[in-house]
Amino acid sequence: MIASEIVLVTGAAGFVGGRIVEALFLSGAATPRAGIRTWSSAARIARFPVDLVLCDIMKPEQIEPAMDGVSTVVHCAYSDARDVIVQGTKNVLEAAQRAGVERVVFISTAEVYGHDVAGIVDETFPCRYTGWEYADSKIDAERLCWEFCAKGLPVTVLRPSIVYGPFCQTWIAGFARRLRSGQWGIFQQYGDGICNLVYVDDLVSATFLAAHHNAAAGEAFNVNGPDIITWNEFFRRFNTALGLPALREISPARLRLKASVMDLARLSAGRVRQVVGPAAAKTARLFLDADRRQGVKKTLKRAQRHMKATASMRDIERLYSRRAIYTASKAQDKLGYQPRFDADRGLQLSVRWLEHHSLARGSAAEIEEAGQP
Amino acid sequence: MSSTQQRGEYVPTIALIGCGAFAEMYYLPALVRFPGVAEKLILVDSNGARAQHLASRFGIHRCVDDYRAILGEVDAAIVAAPHHLHYPISMDFLQHSAHVLCEKPLAEKASEAREMVAEAERAGVTLSANYAQRLFPSSVKVKELLAGGALGKLASIHYSWGSLYTWPTASGFYFNARLSPRGVLLDRGPHAVDLICWWLGDKPAVVSCQHDSFGGAEAVAQVELSHGDCAITIALSWLNELPNEYVIRGERGEIRNGIEDWWRIPIALPSGKVHKIKLAHDEQDYFDFGRRLIANFLNVIRAGDKPLIPAGDVIPSVEVIEACYRTATRFAMPWYENLGTLWSPASAR
Repeated sequence: MIASEIVLVTGAAGFVGGRIVEALFLSGAATPRAGIRTWSSAARIARFPVDLVLCDIMKPEQIEPAMDGVSTVVHCAYSDARDVIVQGTKNVLEAAQRAGVERVVFISTAEVYGHDVAGIVDETFPCRYTGWEYADSKIDAERLCWEFCAKGLPVTVLRPSIVYGPFCQTWIAGFARRLRSGQWGIFQQYGDGICNLVYVDDLVSATFLAAHHNAAAGEAFNVNGPDIITWNEFFRRFNTALGLPALREISPARLRLKASVMDLARLSAGRVRQVVGPAAAKTARLFLDADRRQGVKKTLKRAQRHMKATASMRDIERLYSRRAIYTASKAQDKLGYQPRFDADRGLQLSVRWLEHHSLARGSAAEIEEAGQP
Repeated sequence: MSSTQQRGEYVPTIALIGCGAFAEMYYLPALVRFPGVAEKLILVDSNGARAQHLASRFGIHRCVDDYRAILGEVDAAIVAAPHHLHYPISMDFLQHSAHVLCEKPLAEKASEAREMVAEAERAGVTLSANYAQRLFPSSVKVKELLAGGALGKLASIHYSWGSLYTWPTASGFYFNARLSPRGVLLDRGPHAVDLICWWLGDKPAVVSCQHDSFGGAEAVAQVELSHGDCAITIALSWLNELPNEYVIRGERGEIRNGIEDWWRIPIALPSGKVHKIKLAHDEQDYFDFGRRLIANFLNVIRAGDKPLIPAGDVIPSVEVIEACYRTATRFAMPWYENLGTLWSPASAR
């Protein structure tokens, strides 16, 4: 690949897409074109003087011009909505085919194998629907990839496992808050599943290989990190990296009870917010002064944080206790993929990032007030 | 007379330059509340469809796509265009003897800001600036308290403003490095730096400035200033939440207040007791301050009132921010080391 070649990255405002654009820019080996859905999401990626384009994958009229002159597409854009994952991917594949793109890399997920798997899981395992919209939609989007591949568009599918690193909201910023809350702990047998951590830069390396290797076209590859640790071990190591007091053991009975109660609270809170939220805000303005309104807001935020800091039954049963290893042997053998970041190194860098963003330091009050990053 | 009342019968012709999100949420709702103003208002935006959209929504009769077409035709202009255009557009209107209300930052360079102020004086019109946090009753009270020596000698001021950038920018001009590779320091920094200069009645010296730009618009910035023995830090972010407060420590007490908690000032005394001062206010949200600003601007135009924020007052903050950019270094960010080697032909096997 030469610097004049253009790589379109969809979802460039996101965690993985943003990192791929950053790597492309810093390499100087190709010209990244960063596709974003809205300008308001561009603050992270606009720190780099890259070609930023509006490329909402639900708007073919935006995808078409974004493909102009592109040789490689890395398709990272997604949402939790089925339509965006499936129809959005179809829109991207159609535009790529029309534009004569040489390679499309679709960032899928290891969740396509379903949650009811154990042992060594390789790419020969069947994809299974589970009722989880996100994962089921990724299966359907992968099918579209193979359909377009059969029609001559070279597509490679990557199935990363638990991708973490700087700018990761779910596994880094979110878990830092959970660990800091004092409510998290070691889940005993419910945390003895395999965590399958892969540092985001290893996914960047895998994406590069998927975009270039002749053997990659028409294939799906698991992407995983170099070491195998349990979720309990992840909690422990992250907790240590954050410099927090040792985590306490939480008995299975207590864990399940808390999760069930909090699941119910989450469900109720969501409904209440939907039904009476707007009216409540108006009423508060009429009857409460600014100080009291602020007090109510803070209380609600605290309650929300408390709910987020408690594991859900779904995660306990289907994620933290899942004893599956998504082996990346195929990527290693066929593409020469070599993950370089073990959990300790990856977590160390992630904590440095958290500190930079003031999420891992400061007074308890400051952290409490900080809320969502 | 309340702060939002207006004098005189004459309804001036005003041009609103820039029809972005701020015009839609702040200026237009305020402007159309004053009788007759909407009928004579002219919306200007190079994106004609956007201007037409806002015109229909707010009952405005006239739109143009190039402000130069109406120079000499209007009594006043409100400049809410992208930052790098504040200087040339304001200068054009001032040279045509129109009063100008310019959105923050007044200009990117202090030399431009000084030129704008001089041009207003030469033309015999006014140049006002909108640094909205100055209008907060809490900001006014802080100035009054500091001037009265309520905290004694100041030891430190810390100001933080960080939240995930969600501003519904219509044009995305902030993120176009070709137009101006400047970000959060030029977006949120003017409020912070101007308040501090205003409160101190003086311009602090720049000690250091760090940001995270790789050639584009910085999203996180940390500034250290000094004023005598008072150490000042400003933390700004478009990427994450910060405490969003100012903390002013003096030998006789401490003020710690949320940056948008304009209705109160809490002072912690050395005894540990917190004295809360409640402040009169009509405003329910940030955008309500637009009404006060526009009422003043109308009175400036037709009755010769003094602007709430004369442009000359904010020049020290423009100077400080310019000096910050001039001396800025990039944060140490080890998670970027070697990232450029991962996408490289050399690593292909």
